[in-house]
Amino acid sequence: MQKVITINLNGNAYQLEETAYGLLRTYLDGAELQLKGNPDVAEIISDLEQAVADKCNRVLGAQKTVVTTAEVKQIIDEMGPVEGTAAEPKSEKQERPRSDTTAPKRLYQIRDGAMLSGVCKGLAAYLGVDVTIVRIVFVVLAALTKGAFVIVYLVLMCVIPHATTSEERAAAHGQPFNAQELIDEAKRSYAGFTNSRQWRRHWRRQQREWRRYAPPTAWRFWGPPPIAPVGYAGQVFAGIMMPLLTVARTAAFWIWLCVLASLFSTNALFGWPIPDGIPFWAALLISLFAYCFVAWPLDAARRSSIWALGAPRYGWFSAWDGLLGLVLSALCLWLAWEFVPEVHDFLDNMPTVRANIQNLLRGL
Amino acid sequence: MSVQEKFSAIRKGLLEFLILKIIASDKVYVADMLSRLSVTEFKTQEGTLYPLLSKLRREGLVEYEWQESDAGPPRKYYELTARGKSQLAELTAYWKDINATINQLGR
Repeated sequence: MQKVITINLNGNAYQLEETAYGLLRTYLDGAELQLKGNPDVAEIISDLEQAVADKCNRVLGAQKTVVTTAEVKQIIDEMGPVEGTAAEPKSEKQERPRSDTTAPKRLYQIRDGAMLSGVCKGLAAYLGVDVTIVRIVFVVLAALTKGAFVIVYLVLMCVIPHATTSEERAAAHGQPFNAQELIDEAKRSYAGFTNSRQWRRHWRRQQREWRRYAPPTAWRFWGPPPIAPVGYAGQVFAGIMMPLLTVARTAAFWIWLCVLASLFSTNALFGWPIPDGIPFWAALLISLFAYCFVAWPLDAARRSSIWALGAPRYGWFSAWDGLLGLVLSALCLWLAWEFVPEVHDFLDNMPTVRANIQNLLRGL
Repeated sequence: MSVQEKFSAIRKGLLEFLILKIIASDKVYVADMLSRLSVTEFKTQEGTLYPLLSKLRREGLVEYEWQESDAGPPRKYYELTARGKSQLAELTAYWKDINATINQLGR
């Protein structure tokens, strides 16, 4: 049992099943889209509607008042796809301003013409003000807060996605994206390439980039498929998660090191002696497995985040990621040196550690 | 690739010429044109024909008038304008040239 929808085809009422209505709606909307720019689109659509109505009349009768889905399918098949005829250039020009639909405006980082990462440029595009004003505001704020505002910049740099595709660049400015604009843009930048040396340099850079984009094969096992499109929200989420994951990953590594140090220097895990049944090498193996068990999913998640943020800028992100890890490691070392007596013990007990290792080797 | 596929672009290109020919012979409406074409290699559907007719009308080659029909709503009957007639004559002459060329070339 289906709901029936009454429609008006060129001035007459017809009753269609709900899904039949959906099909017909799709067909006519598609036709209208195909005929976009054609000055006679309204007339052609009404002609098509009339043709559909005639075909409906054929299947309807005194005892049959509703057109079924199968019948509408058949009718649409008979009508055939509507092909747009090339409209005159004049009418196309009239059409273009009308294609301005509301485009979503989004905050992106814009790399072209950026001084650092494009945060200011993206903000300027989003707010619709000159980029210089935004930069001055940032510098002034940084000066006023004695540099603390730089952290805000770093955080924004991490969290705000980069506008890499033309679509995203258009969204960063809140402009509608369509193919015509892409072509215009390409023409403009092509006209700028008059200098052949500049062109050669561009070409070499492009080739280097292509080579770099080829992802290392090992990634395929746990990373998402290369160049998986990620939405805006996903990119923001990845931007937030990436530093957190790096922190967790580095922490895991240092905790494991502490465990090792503790095992070697005291033959115990932070004061807990190894149970009798477990030999020393087994304890080491168990600690290794525990470490891998924690580190592996963290690594996978981190790689996915980097991918989500954009594979093309992989180099940038891994550099940033590595730097963060290094700073954290240095911080851990310093904290350990200052506050954890075991570290001092470890260094003091170096002879014991050597003995333990020698014992282990002799055991093997 | 079948013979039909090889000539699909040519059939498409010839459609305008054939429509002008059909309209020249008699005042016709769309269902008439479709039924006359349906028995030939140039079988066509409404989705193609309506946009084509609208283009021909914009180019001033055809014109239509509404005529009451005994069954159902009034229909658009198409006929050639003076420009359409001269265009058809040109197309016919050109087509004859093409035919002659095809017959002359090779075997």
